[in-house]
Amino acid sequence: MAINRRNFMQQSAVWAAAFAAGTVPGVFRSAMAARENELNILCWEGYNSAQVLDPFRTAQNATVKAESLTNDPTMINRLRAGETNVWDLINVNNPWARKVMYPEGLIKPLDKATFEPFFANMLPGFEWPYRWCMSDDGSELLGMIQRFGPYSYVVNTDKISRETAEDTGWDLFNDPANKGKYGILESDDWNVFNICVIAGFDPFREHTDDEVAKFSETAKKVFGGAKLVGDIATMNQALIAGEIDFHMTGGTYSASPARADGYLNIRGITPKKGPMAGGKGGIAWIEVTSTVNNPELSPLAPKFLEYVQDPEVAHTVAFAEGTFNPVTQMGNSKCFDLFTKDELDAIQWDSLNEEMAGCVEYDIVPDYDKLLDLMTAAKREVSGG
Amino acid sequence: MAAGDGAILLLKGLTKIFAGHRAVDAIDLQIREGEMFTIVGPSGSGKTTLLRMLAGMETPTSGDIILRGQRINDIPANRRPTCMVFQSLALFPHKDVGDNIEFSLKIRGVPKAERKQRALELMRLLRLPDHYYDRAVTRISGGERQRVALARALAFDPEILFFDEPLSALDYKLRKTLEKELKDIHRETKKTFVYITHSLEEAMVMSDRIGVMRDGRLVQIGTPQEIYTEPNSKFVSEFVGDVNVLSVSVLPSGKLKAAQIPHEMVAPATMNGVKSAGFLVVRPEFLRFLDAPGDADNHVVGRLYNEYALGSRIQYQVRVGELVFVLEKLRHEAFAGGLDQEVLIGWDAVNTIVVPDR
Amino acid sequence: MTARTEGATAGGGVGFLRVPAGFRAALPVILFLLVGFAAPLLAVIGFSFMPARTFGFTGQPTLENYITIFESTSYISLLWSLGLALATVLILILISYPVAYGLVRVFGRWSTLVTLLFVIPLFVSENVRLYGWLLFLIKNGVLLGTLKTVFGIEAESMLFTTGAILLGMVYVYLPYMLFPLTLGISMVPNDAREAASDLGASRWQVFKEVELPLSMPGLVIGCLLTFVLAVGAIAEYKVLGGQQVIPITHDIEIAFTYAQNWPLGAALSVLLMLIVGVLVMIALRRFDLDKFLGRR
Repeated sequence: MAINRRNFMQQSAVWAAAFAAGTVPGVFRSAMAARENELNILCWEGYNSAQVLDPFRTAQNATVKAESLTNDPTMINRLRAGETNVWDLINVNNPWARKVMYPEGLIKPLDKATFEPFFANMLPGFEWPYRWCMSDDGSELLGMIQRFGPYSYVVNTDKISRETAEDTGWDLFNDPANKGKYGILESDDWNVFNICVIAGFDPFREHTDDEVAKFSETAKKVFGGAKLVGDIATMNQALIAGEIDFHMTGGTYSASPARADGYLNIRGITPKKGPMAGGKGGIAWIEVTSTVNNPELSPLAPKFLEYVQDPEVAHTVAFAEGTFNPVTQMGNSKCFDLFTKDELDAIQWDSLNEEMAGCVEYDIVPDYDKLLDLMTAAKREVSGG
Repeated sequence: MAAGDGAILLLKGLTKIFAGHRAVDAIDLQIREGEMFTIVGPSGSGKTTLLRMLAGMETPTSGDIILRGQRINDIPANRRPTCMVFQSLALFPHKDVGDNIEFSLKIRGVPKAERKQRALELMRLLRLPDHYYDRAVTRISGGERQRVALARALAFDPEILFFDEPLSALDYKLRKTLEKELKDIHRETKKTFVYITHSLEEAMVMSDRIGVMRDGRLVQIGTPQEIYTEPNSKFVSEFVGDVNVLSVSVLPSGKLKAAQIPHEMVAPATMNGVKSAGFLVVRPEFLRFLDAPGDADNHVVGRLYNEYALGSRIQYQVRVGELVFVLEKLRHEAFAGGLDQEVLIGWDAVNTIVVPDR
Repeated sequence: MTARTEGATAGGGVGFLRVPAGFRAALPVILFLLVGFAAPLLAVIGFSFMPARTFGFTGQPTLENYITIFESTSYISLLWSLGLALATVLILILISYPVAYGLVRVFGRWSTLVTLLFVIPLFVSENVRLYGWLLFLIKNGVLLGTLKTVFGIEAESMLFTTGAILLGMVYVYLPYMLFPLTLGISMVPNDAREAASDLGASRWQVFKEVELPLSMPGLVIGCLLTFVLAVGAIAEYKVLGGQQVIPITHDIEIAFTYAQNWPLGAALSVLLMLIVGVLVMIALRRFDLDKFLGRR
């Protein structure tokens, strides 16, 4: 017999070792030398798509690498951990450039003369000097904007009408009758915001001990009542299949893939009321793309930022693979005219203005770490229930 | 012949066909109560298949196996009152010596204390020290393993004990010792032993009777003496060991003629029905160095090619043209001449037989 | 100058060559293992002693992460992970043993086909297969949709339950139990089975006394392999379980992503490795493999 007991044991050990080794992440990255022809982008998905990058690669004869991640803190901590000498561009949501990355010296300002003119062609509300693009003192331009969207929750309008959803607001998640009828997108930073709002207070400020206790209790209730927690594809699948009627943390960004497939009954909702500034109930995000404080910043970084302002490229970015989103460049008719009716339906253009008006903008939660830990514990504690 | 008559096991036309090949071909055989019967044959002769049918591990294609008057063809191995010692011994490697020996008793639900007592009795019978009881079977020597396998089979208290070449993997000296021990155990236990081996020498040492098997058939059955002195075929005679076999034709005069030997030869009394052509069998110990041609019935001149020391005996190889003769002498009767010397060898007809080519 | 001195000088000149050839040959592999296996492990261990929410090795070493874990409810996730992994292993034994037995002893020439059926899915990524189950089990999906349209039966979806997680883990880890077990069973000598039967054992007794203990190495390897893999599972909890159960791996993932608390994640990983390591050691001691292999 070729396999005897003894060498079977040895082989098994080797096999087991191979399995173990397979789970060890490769963490080694080579240092960069000449940077004229290369560009490294750390971004949300979309900017890493071939549709967006290939024309730029060809035009610049450049090697462009883009890594996509699905949460802001991870990207920023990559820079904090010393990857500022790796990346040239970082694409995260609005508050980080102004409030965190610039003060920490992780990014460097853009040339205002080059980029200010682009703001003239943006949608109303994004005019120069757009707050989230500027440094705190208003003196420096820290990044360029493009994709944005309201991001609160998504309903299947066949089960809950848009009106009911907008009027009921976040209390949808407080109603015991809805236990088991909703899902939660696994986007835990946003879920922290939402739990605050459901608990009845503004997430984007320091919280009292009472509020923190309420947060914890609400997190247990909301996660305990959820039918499932999952990614965007699972949420849309579950909405379409009828497993759930609505899910939180969602908006055009998450609902657009289903809507683009013709499921127009899947709709992002911005509630009409809420506990945030001005009685608003919705939260919106605006991506800001900044140049990293890389000692050898690629000269292609600002070029890329100019490149994506182009109406056609902006349209491509809006409908790059993954999710579909409005872009600020739609203020330019040359860009807007490129969108078909179906595309406008997918990104809920019909209600975009009023939804944005009902939203506060994503901001830093000062006690995020504490709240996230409480939420993580809450999820754990309602496990299996 | 009546089924009684001291027969414990009766085989009638027992046949096993594997994919068209008759591995065991219509065997008729009686095994007597308490005898040690050895089936001997080269590999591929069907002896293992035959034994496996007897033990219940193969189903006969046709024929009957009758144990004490009862047909047992369809009784599975675990319900037959017989037991086998395997060629590999098939000890349970995960069990201690004691647990191996007691296996069948445990299966029958015999209480532990009683089992252990019986195991120790058998270990003493087989000269295994008591403290081996708790030893892993993988940590004892080959000969000891052999004894454990035998003890395990004896603990079953079978009507017949089958042995499938259990000594074949052992070295010569140990094998010789165990052959004798096995014969002693046979005397002691008075059980019926059916043994298979490819070594006729081994069969000779131990057996009451021997059956020689070839191509699925038993070609000769007899006592060791009969098989040795009166083989009924060239096959059997050659199977016994080094032997001089000469292709001969029978002359009208009754004398024998071999192609390379100039003289006509005196024929033996035992011709095994050979009328025209057959084989003259001369055992090495019956060949002698002659001083003169007349010193024996038959003689031939050859050249001493080589000599081999076999312990108590010395073997000589003598070449006559293409023919090779083998002689054996006791050491103290060693031939005085040197190699390559011309020698005269010969034999008496009474010590030879003629067998057919079968 | 004697030849002996010359020889010694020459030997000194090629000092490396005096290292045993086996070691020299193994050196590349040893280096590879050190860099690829030991280094990341050491990095994780090192990180677990860094102050919370830091991103380098420059901080003052501290036990605060471990203290945080012991003061938290992490044990709940840990118990879920261990519990469901154990359940997965038990279910896998029940499913795999008969299949493996069939592969070795019953299916004959169909064995290859059956083996292929179990191997082919391994070429598809685990996540894709799990999403396949999702689409199969989801409301109005392949299973429930067919039941509804063809038989008019409205059944509750079993998705997003503990049962669905178990289904996913059993499905994904089946080959890791099946193949060691198949090897284990195939290594049971036929003679030993026949001898047991010849000594009067019934089929069940042959199984209990001989086949099961002798196939134990395969079973133990299969159990350890699937247990370790199942403790490390996360996709099944996410895709089929809808995170209705939070395993320890999920806590680790959260620490490394949303919480950006690498030291905490590292400490959780270290604890998990320790606990799994200790459990494996206990199992190996309990099921002394050498004993089964007759090498005691």
